[in-house]
Amino acid sequence: MIYLDNAATTGRKPPSVIRAVESGLRYYSANPGRGGHAPAMAASVKLYAAREKAAAFFGASGAENVVFTLNCTHSINCVIKGVTKPGDRVVTSTLEHNAVMRPLIKSGVTVDAAPVSLTDDEQTLREFETRITDDTKLVICTAASNVFGKILPLTEIGRLCRNRGVRFAVDAAQLAGVMPINMQTMGIDYLCVAPHKGLYAPMGIGMLICEKPIENTLLEGGTGVNSLELTQPDSMPERLESGTVGLPLAMGTAAGIDYVNHIGIHKLYEHEMHLCRFLYHELKKLPFVRLYAPAPASGQFAPVVSFNIKDQKSEAVARFLGEKGIAVRGGFHCAPAAHRAVGTLADGTVRVSVAAFNTTDDIKALVMAVKKAKNL
Amino acid sequence: MNQYVISTGTVTYAIKGRDLLKRKGYPAKVVRNSSSAGCGYGIVFSGDKNDAERLLRAAGVKIIDIKEQ
Repeated sequence: MIYLDNAATTGRKPPSVIRAVESGLRYYSANPGRGGHAPAMAASVKLYAAREKAAAFFGASGAENVVFTLNCTHSINCVIKGVTKPGDRVVTSTLEHNAVMRPLIKSGVTVDAAPVSLTDDEQTLREFETRITDDTKLVICTAASNVFGKILPLTEIGRLCRNRGVRFAVDAAQLAGVMPINMQTMGIDYLCVAPHKGLYAPMGIGMLICEKPIENTLLEGGTGVNSLELTQPDSMPERLESGTVGLPLAMGTAAGIDYVNHIGIHKLYEHEMHLCRFLYHELKKLPFVRLYAPAPASGQFAPVVSFNIKDQKSEAVARFLGEKGIAVRGGFHCAPAAHRAVGTLADGTVRVSVAAFNTTDDIKALVMAVKKAKNL
Repeated sequence: MNQYVISTGTVTYAIKGRDLLKRKGYPAKVVRNSSSAGCGYGIVFSGDKNDAERLLRAAGVKIIDIKEQ
């Protein structure tokens, strides 16, 4: 199977990540931060090491700022529901995944979505600037669209937020591990990470890195300390980590960070963008294929390309490609807002997303199959 | 040299504090302990109590109490 659905999860995990998870299961099967015996201490040290690695990778000010969550959606919910209350004003973008939109709607805040231009970052910034006012409680936006790949101008949005004293949260599901993200230089207060995508880590874990407090907890429970108190402790990260943390998955996350660092994030990104540009230009030659974004330029796009075939449903094309041994995703990608913004709400798109293990041959095979999908 | 237990509450702060103290040259280890705030973790270390406290607080490590062993 040629796997080109890496925006959903990276289809191949490096052996080092698999070994790290196995190591966690074999040698560190004790609950970190709970007991005082040697196995619990060893587990605690491993968990802390994973936090330190993540903090360094994302430019966080300390390991204690790194919270392990269930997944990136959980992280986003922690931020939105922890920082806002009904009636607060929140600014977001028009390209958001439901992981952002659904909790925003549920939380009863007033949402103001800034239109994102696929070609003009200055235009996007103007849209954010007119919407971020003194009574804005939070700005939350995607780092890169999971449908069209467009990277938002995070540093500039962060600067707008800093200048106005507004907290800034980023859904980095599609960009963490793909391009460098530094919370300090980008002015990001809350970073929500999906390690199983660009960090090649196992599914089932997320990260939330907080440079500012989160006032209300989403989950309360055992934290391993202050057991006699029935209120949630204040100290981070335990305040936001009730219950047992998935230590083997956290160890896999640390190994994924090592993998990206070892190869080089820039080298990986250029490899992926080369494949996307190759795909884009091959698809552009086909008169029955419609593309929606400009040619993917480095720094402007994550390695994601969406297209449609004239007179074919995107899900039907994806199914056909799957039968040919090529895994892509058709439909709405849990991001109706993005499809509405770009004009693909009627049928969605076929989304291709590459990663480290993909090759030019994968793309050539995809293009050949797309040609056959013209008349389904 | 005097030995102290610095109660930090969480294991995260205990490990952070231990690493800071060790880098400063103080022998230190993390222990499970009880403090005025209840059960939790602490750092057993040998050295200058005031220096250690300054170092840890400057790094943002929460200190619940420091007791001589």
